[in-house]
Amino acid sequence: MKAFQAILGVWLSAVIFCALMFPIVGEITRWYEFPVIPGLEQKARILFFHVPLAWTSVVGFVVSVFYAIRYLRSKQIDDDIKSSSAAGLGLLFCALTTLTGSIWAKFSWGSFWNWDPRETSIFVLLLIYGAYFALRSAVQEDDKKATLAAVYAIIAGVTMPFLMFVMPRIIESLHPDPIINTRGKVSMNSTMLVVFFSSLAGFTALYFWIYSLKLRVARLEFKRSSAGE
Amino acid sequence: MYDFLQNNSLYLVLGISLLGWAGIFSYLVRLGARIRHLEKQDKQ
Repeated sequence: MKAFQAILGVWLSAVIFCALMFPIVGEITRWYEFPVIPGLEQKARILFFHVPLAWTSVVGFVVSVFYAIRYLRSKQIDDDIKSSSAAGLGLLFCALTTLTGSIWAKFSWGSFWNWDPRETSIFVLLLIYGAYFALRSAVQEDDKKATLAAVYAIIAGVTMPFLMFVMPRIIESLHPDPIINTRGKVSMNSTMLVVFFSSLAGFTALYFWIYSLKLRVARLEFKRSSAGE
Repeated sequence: MYDFLQNNSLYLVLGISLLGWAGIFSYLVRLGARIRHLEKQDKQ
């Protein structure tokens, strides 16, 4: 575990360094240069953080749905703990995606919030998962809470791909073309691609590290609250 | 001062980002150690 932590620490530091320090130039002459993306220029650097954050929130929501289904089949409370922990982290990363996106919007579109289809869909997603935790806190009985939350997590998980991937593509948006665009092609310079996928891998590993910690805390909390009853 | 910030903005952002990441990283490491301690206490 210590080796994993050390590697991740160095890995994400290197990603931050490369993402911010590699120069963006008109004509590439060296391997460590990024090309200018018209309309984005220096602001393109945010994609090394914004997109991986959005990706990790998707991972969180998918893990949440997976364990919600497992809970409904097994009725093991540990599956509910796994599902709610994953949803909590998904919500956190989703909020960070919104934050980084609105910082980018301030410099590109002139204001932090514009109700662009992409912003609206992520806002709805935040509300849906906010309601998930409101539902959990409203029910006291553990089994009932877990069953209701599992059903809700599955329904929320079904809406997630629509809000994240489909809706922003069917309604005209000012948001830049996604990395993998509608033509199904990855349109990025090779150096950018390496830094981008390194960031994606780093953020995914960070997600699973935080997830394991959150899981252990939730299990301890559950154990202690059950012992106190 | 304004010129300094304008000319070195990227280095400042890098410094802030690395400091932020170092803070998050050390917090997670300390949190892991604390949880391990609580788990041990729970077992005893």
